[in-house]
Amino acid sequence: MACVPPHRVGNDVFVERFGESVAEVTKMTGVAHRHWVDANTTTSDLCAEAATRLMAGLDWSTDSIDAILFISQTPDYRLPATAAVLQARLELRPGIIAFDVNLGCSAYPYGLWLAMTMVATGAARRVLLAVGDTSSRVVDPSDRSTALLFGDAGSVTAIEYDPLAPVASFVLGSDGRGAQNLIIPQGAFRDGAARGDHDQTRLFMDGGEIFTFTLKAVPPLVADTFRLAEASADDYDAFLFHQANAFMIKHLAKKSKLPTDKVPINIDRYGNTSSATIPLLIADDLSERLRSSTMRLAMFGFGVGYSWASASITIGRLACVETITS
Amino acid sequence: MSEFYEGMAEILEVDATEINADYELGEAWDSLAIVSTIALVDEVFDKAIGADTLQECRTVGDIEKAAQAA
Repeated sequence: MACVPPHRVGNDVFVERFGESVAEVTKMTGVAHRHWVDANTTTSDLCAEAATRLMAGLDWSTDSIDAILFISQTPDYRLPATAAVLQARLELRPGIIAFDVNLGCSAYPYGLWLAMTMVATGAARRVLLAVGDTSSRVVDPSDRSTALLFGDAGSVTAIEYDPLAPVASFVLGSDGRGAQNLIIPQGAFRDGAARGDHDQTRLFMDGGEIFTFTLKAVPPLVADTFRLAEASADDYDAFLFHQANAFMIKHLAKKSKLPTDKVPINIDRYGNTSSATIPLLIADDLSERLRSSTMRLAMFGFGVGYSWASASITIGRLACVETITS
Repeated sequence: MSEFYEGMAEILEVDATEINADYELGEAWDSLAIVSTIALVDEVFDKAIGADTLQECRTVGDIEKAAQAA
C-alpha cells in the first residue's frame, strides 16, 4: 500500500529559477511531476495512512501485529524511533517489536529481507514494513541536481507467516567509501566536511559519482540475483529498479539485457521517491496484475551509503494493493 | 565517424562533423554532460569512468585517453 501527498508539482514552477536548463535536466531524469508534502507532513504521516488502509483491507486487527519496522532517511525525530511513534499512533499492541533502519534507495529489498527473516525465524507472525521518504523537505531549492528530481511517498507492506510461501532470495551489500557522495553533512552529531556550496543541513548529491557507482554495482547485482535464484531473465514477469533517474534505469536495463517492456518506469509521475520507489511501482504500476495473478519479481535498490540490495520473490492474488492520496 | 564521436556530438549538441580529438568541451561540459558521457563510455568502451576524471578533461581527446586508461 503506497500513499502520496495530494500536492502535485509540475516542472513549470522551476523554470523561473533554473531557466532553460529545466528541459535538459528533465530530459535526463524523466521527471514530469512529483508529489510534495507540506511543511507539517512527515513520512510517518504518509505511512500511517497507508497502514490504516492496508490493515482494513486485509482485515488485520491492530492486536494481531507482532512487529513494525520503519525504514527511511526522513524520520520524525532524531530520537525516538519513528516505528515506536507509529506503533502508538496505529494503536498496535504495547510490547511488540518496533525499530527504525537508516537506509534510502536500497531500503525496500533490505526491509523485505528483514521482515521475512523475522517471520521465518518465528520472531513474529505478522509484520508491518513501513518504507518511505519526504526528500522534498531536505533538498536545497537552489540546487538544480536535486530540487527537480525528488518526490515524496510512503508505503506499508504486510508480511505474514505462510508455511507454503514460495522461496524468496536476497542479495545485500554496501560500500561506505561512497558515503560522502550522497549526504546531509550536518544536522546530526558530527559536522561533516562541507559538500557543495549550499546549506550543509540540506541534501548533497554528486550525480556523476553516483552514476559511476551504479554502473559498477548494479549489473553484478542483477547477475548475482539470477544466479542465487537459479533463474534467468526469462523467468521473471517484471524487473523493478529503484527509480533513480530514467536515463540511468534505461541504461542499466540495457546493460543487463533485460526486455524494456518488463522494466516499468514511473519516475515521470512521482519523481525519485528514495526508499519508496519500488513499493510505489508495486502499488501503482503493478497493482491490477497483482490483484488478479501471481508474478515473479526481481527488484533492485541502490544508492545512498553506498548500499545495494535485491530481492527475487513471487507474490500475487493480493487482497490489498493500491496507491492512495493522503 | 566513430560511435564515440557521434555520441559526444549528441551530448555536446553540435554537428558530428565538428567533433575531433582537439574539440574543446568548453561551457557545455556541465554535470549533465558528464553523466551522459559516463554512460557513453560504458556503452562504447565497456568501462566505468569516474566523474572526477571526466571533470578534469578539456577536450574530446582527453576523454578518449581517460576512457582507455580506466
